Amino acid sequence: MAYAFDFSSVLEYREALVDGTLKTLGLTAIGAVFGLAIGILGAVSRAWKLAPFDRIFAVYVELIRNTPFLVQLFFIFFGLPSLGVQINEWQAAILAMVINLGAYSTEIIRAGIEATPKGQIEAAQSLAMTRAQLFRHVVLPPALLKVWPSLCSQVVIVMLGSSVCSQIAAEELTFAANFIQSRNFRAFETYFVVTGMYFLLALAVRQVMIQAGQRLIARRAK
Amino acid sequence: MALVHIDALHKHFGSNHVLKGIDLDIEEGQVIALIGRSGSGKSTLLRTINGLESFDDGCIEVDGERIHPHETDLRALRQKVGMVFQQFNLFPHLTAGQNVMLATRVVKKMPEQEAIDLAKAMLLKVGLQDKFDSYPDQLSGGQQQRVAIARALAMQPRVLLCDEITSALDPELVNEVLAVVKNLAAEGITLIMVTHEMRFAREVGDKLVFMYQGRIHEAGDPQELFANPQTPELASFIGSIN
Repeated sequence: MAYAFDFSSVLEYREALVDGTLKTLGLTAIGAVFGLAIGILGAVSRAWKLAPFDRIFAVYVELIRNTPFLVQLFFIFFGLPSLGVQINEWQAAILAMVINLGAYSTEIIRAGIEATPKGQIEAAQSLAMTRAQLFRHVVLPPALLKVWPSLCSQVVIVMLGSSVCSQIAAEELTFAANFIQSRNFRAFETYFVVTGMYFLLALAVRQVMIQAGQRLIARRAK
Repeated sequence: MALVHIDALHKHFGSNHVLKGIDLDIEEGQVIALIGRSGSGKSTLLRTINGLESFDDGCIEVDGERIHPHETDLRALRQKVGMVFQQFNLFPHLTAGQNVMLATRVVKKMPEQEAIDLAKAMLLKVGLQDKFDSYPDQLSGGQQQRVAIARALAMQPRVLLCDEITSALDPELVNEVLAVVKNLAAEGITLIMVTHEMRFAREVGDKLVFMYQGRIHEAGDPQELFANPQTPELASFIGSIN
């Protein structure tokens, strides 16, 4: 059986693809920044047993890691309005991604913090640093540096996972694909192109993050 | 009045009574060598002096800063007491210069240029003025330990504690570190060092403190004690290491 590919019918919709790509990237960027921030707070709470936050984060991490992302998204999108919190599809998508990444990065960063040699902490204490100074200057930078590759992978996973946001009509890349194939009836070509786009996006995001990490955290020339 | 005053200090690790009533006075400018077998309590004693170990009874006073058992706010004490560790414990993500500057910047809030100048002066003092921008993993063990000494000195402590600072070094690197300590002693810095370098203790120390089973078993002038140990335990200890 011969299948005649016709990519021109996809390219007609390139504006929708570009727009979807930018929105996917935007979601990922916001999700990454706030998700990693929550991850740092969660990690220090759990690693240093800061009551009551360590318990709160433990419950949060288990809840998020043991439920599907799509269900979390629906929970926020359909659940919050029932509680009287008005929320649009983008707010719901961002919130879901931040919450999801926050949980996973809590565990990843915690591993980095717990790998800090005891001597480093004692050296900082003997220099009269407060716990906050010690965390900010001595514990956190090497911890992030150690787990940075894992964090980059997790951000890529969350970016790919953002495709389910199309289910609540957030017009990101997968939404654009669904829209295009419903117009041109060329599902194979459309998803062929979009698969390639996700693949390249994932490679690019990982590279950018690894470079940024070396600049921001390491601050040393290789 | 003594710069460091330790009075009836007791400490337990669980059921193990590791410090059994330590009394020790250290005058400004003295170099104290703490010696003894492993497990005799010498490192624990040293670590209580800047609050890395808590204690159960007695008290410690450094330059008027008094601490009691289970004290939690130790920062005022730690500003007066510097410490150098066996394993160097440099911060691996910072250059030698940044290691030396960090506490002066974040704890003492020193302006950046002043902190840089001070860090350079401290590195010069330990003979590493050209290593300001080197990272710890680019330095030898002896150089790392000298940076660690400069880092402690930058906080201008009244007392410097040295916890077996040459024990992790290759034999050929020991002397460069000891030479730095010797210079500090000559400058009149008050030093308390746990050491296995007996010749050094004898040459540089003003006072030798021999610990045995959690007590100060014998203390006095190093030359005299080495020549005429008063107790069989010290005699046997000196015999075992020569």
